[in-house]
Amino acid sequence: MIYDYAIIGGGVVGSAILNKLTRLGKKCILFEKSDDVANGTSKANTGLIHAGFDAHEGTLKARLNVEGNKLFPKLCKELFVPFKQNGAIVVGTDLEKIKNLYARGTKNGVSNMQILDQPTLKQLLPNLNDKLTVGLLAKSAGIVSPYLFTIALAEESVLNGSKVVLNYEVKRAQFTGTHFRITNNIEEFDAFWIINATGAQYNSIAKLLHSETYPIKYRIGEYYLLDSLVSPITKYSVFPLPTATSKGVVITPTIDGNILIGPNATDISDYSTATSVSGLNEVKEKAKEIFSNIPFNKNIRNFAGVRSIVGEDFIIEKSKRVQNVINIAGICSPGLTSSPAIANYVAFDLLGLKNKEKEMKRRTPIETIRDKTPEQINAMIKKDKNFGKIICRCECVSLAEIIQAIKSPLKPTSVDAIKRRTRAGMGRCQGNFCMAKVMETFDKEKNVSFDNVAKENPQSKIIIGEIKG
Amino acid sequence: MLNYDVIVIGGGAGGMAAAIESDKTGAKTLLIERDDKLGGILNQCIHNGFGLHYFCEELTGPEYANKFEKKLAKTKVDVMLNTFVKKIDGKNITIVNENGCQVVTAKSIVIAMGCREKTAGSINLAGTRPVGIYTAGQVQRMVNLYGKMVGKRVVIVGSGDIGLIMARRLTFEGAKVLMVAEIMSFTSGLSRNVQQCIKDFNIPLLFNTSITRVVGTDRVEGVYYAPVDEKYNICGREKYIKCDCVILSVGLTPETSIIENLKLNPVTNGAFVNEYRELIDEKGVFMCGNNLHVHDLVDNVSIEGEIAGHNAGLNALGKLKHGKAYNVKFGDGIRYVLPSIVFGGKNEEVTINFRVGYKIVKKFIVAYVNGKLVNKKYCMSLNPGEMQSISINKDFIDGDIEVKIVDGGFLGMGV
Repeated sequence: MIYDYAIIGGGVVGSAILNKLTRLGKKCILFEKSDDVANGTSKANTGLIHAGFDAHEGTLKARLNVEGNKLFPKLCKELFVPFKQNGAIVVGTDLEKIKNLYARGTKNGVSNMQILDQPTLKQLLPNLNDKLTVGLLAKSAGIVSPYLFTIALAEESVLNGSKVVLNYEVKRAQFTGTHFRITNNIEEFDAFWIINATGAQYNSIAKLLHSETYPIKYRIGEYYLLDSLVSPITKYSVFPLPTATSKGVVITPTIDGNILIGPNATDISDYSTATSVSGLNEVKEKAKEIFSNIPFNKNIRNFAGVRSIVGEDFIIEKSKRVQNVINIAGICSPGLTSSPAIANYVAFDLLGLKNKEKEMKRRTPIETIRDKTPEQINAMIKKDKNFGKIICRCECVSLAEIIQAIKSPLKPTSVDAIKRRTRAGMGRCQGNFCMAKVMETFDKEKNVSFDNVAKENPQSKIIIGEIKG
Repeated sequence: MLNYDVIVIGGGAGGMAAAIESDKTGAKTLLIERDDKLGGILNQCIHNGFGLHYFCEELTGPEYANKFEKKLAKTKVDVMLNTFVKKIDGKNITIVNENGCQVVTAKSIVIAMGCREKTAGSINLAGTRPVGIYTAGQVQRMVNLYGKMVGKRVVIVGSGDIGLIMARRLTFEGAKVLMVAEIMSFTSGLSRNVQQCIKDFNIPLLFNTSITRVVGTDRVEGVYYAPVDEKYNICGREKYIKCDCVILSVGLTPETSIIENLKLNPVTNGAFVNEYRELIDEKGVFMCGNNLHVHDLVDNVSIEGEIAGHNAGLNALGKLKHGKAYNVKFGDGIRYVLPSIVFGGKNEEVTINFRVGYKIVKKFIVAYVNGKLVNKKYCMSLNPGEMQSISINKDFIDGDIEVKIVDGGFLGMGV
């Protein structure tokens, strides 16, 4: 069987393309080298759906940002992914710069923007530092869980006939004259087209395909994630004025009720998601310039994501060097926002597909008890008593939810994959209480034995041996 | 709606003691526990040293818990295991177990849900986030209850008691504990643990040392560490040590997240209570044990649980009397006092718990009321890691109390 399209890379862009091509009735396969989708930059970003006033006019970034922003509400509804259009506010002291952003946004096709004077700013952001006097409100900006969105795109694709192969690192892709034979030296697959959506690893796959390589600059962004109990400092996603290198350190509520602070933007020579003492301090200092009273002592997690940057714009093109290859590189911010639009661009502008979208079988989101009333929870428990057994105390995740996650379409096998699907381990105790229970559940469900459960990739097994005793 | 006189949330050391005392007052009592057995954290503390004060015996954690379970079994207390408290709203408690979800209510509630461990996020541990980074209690549970090892070459961050205990435990099970890195200039753990777990095993204990970052992609490969000054700024060269496991013993914090809008003491991260262990801001709600302030000795947790349970029972039966309320204040060098409010009375003593902020040597702890000295206690040496107490005869309490540290030159005259 020869697949129409093989996508290499299970990030949000690869998964969005997989989903689009599946909807267009194509036979698709996606290869992801790690144990789960969204394991690269797609899980380590700010989760913002940008309005589009920041990207420079005339760029692909600007066009796809604004298009993507418009596609998000309907897409998230179809995928059963929570999405909130909470609005973004850029704050500063320089009215000219704010007006420039407004003008750029208008040129890019952004609507629902408003320049805010100081009294209005103070009304919308009561905790804002007094020295910040002007703002730009963009009502079309929103927040989403970037990894849940990626997972949902991939799951829906699998439910509709496409294939996702995890733990598959493409080693060779030989063009036979009519199609590619793709192998990881263990298992082979055939496909007419290859789409290289491997993010940070773009060049290693491009070399393998003999397609164009690009000079990729890696720029790390570090974050603080605060306890969900902290009173919301802001309802809006708050930005400083952007610089040449980045949109700046943002303070935003997340869709799950935490406060997320970051990222900074430091160039690094080799790919690494390591945070640093100096980087985290930089994020803290910059955030304090916007809200001086952020309770950093309620931090529950620090993490970092790496942007892959190629020049000033996205690279989304048909390879000129080899046939039947699509190159996707340098998808830094606004990559998440643009992802559905990137998928459209690949499908319609590059591949020239004209098929109508088919009726899709929808994914079933995991039923949660945390947001339900006692009556609703009671009814769920009567149906399945595993809703009454609590695995993750901090995020109130029941055993039924863990089992649903284990059985979900991508068949995850790691603790972190379950964490991203259920929130078990994302709370203030960071998996201290529930990690062993999730491992026990894998064992009971006969997916992975307790001793073989990994945190992420198969090389990250948690148990290294038995006690002597 | 299911209704009790007293509901105790948490079946560990504090909760069991509270439920037993509540039952003694005649109050109809329910004890709710999320695990499939009582005992709480004691179940994983298989080392001994528990009960030296309360039972005058040296018991393991499970043995100590078992003694209370036996006492509890003789009472009329209803026990619900495998039951999770989802929400506490005043005196309405939403509970979840495999039989369903319901709201239960009581005239008094005692909250004894213990504490949780501080994490890598609490200390902003930099570097990567591979497998092999755990908290000490998490490893303790893995080793003692599951019989599994999670690392062979271990670096322990923080000299809190659990880390010290695990240094010894892991060495017994064949791991190499390379060092304990403590960021402060003193340990927060008990002196006996430093001796019995670190010095006796020749494990390096480095003070004023910070782990600056973790290295490793899939698994921990090593850590960088450096000397720090008293402001925790790096003041020396970074060194690297290869290891496959980083264990954090960086402190505990009361698990108060379930109670909405609870005003917390920023020093303890626990609530403000009066001498009955009743919340100052909400009558009829009592707290005890590590849920209120982190203890060092389970014996004191039991005693505190008894105070809370006894008074919760009296409160439910309409018999709890609140005399004239006086504030308990404290001077320099003391981190906090508990309770913050005591009531006037006759012919009885009230005990004030406190912790010092730094090691004090050859000083007096004194208690004053209205400028009168009402008690003094000489201390050869007092560590922040060891909770202390001073008792005051209520006959002398006719004003606010102040607890202070004073010099040895003091001779017991009013100042």
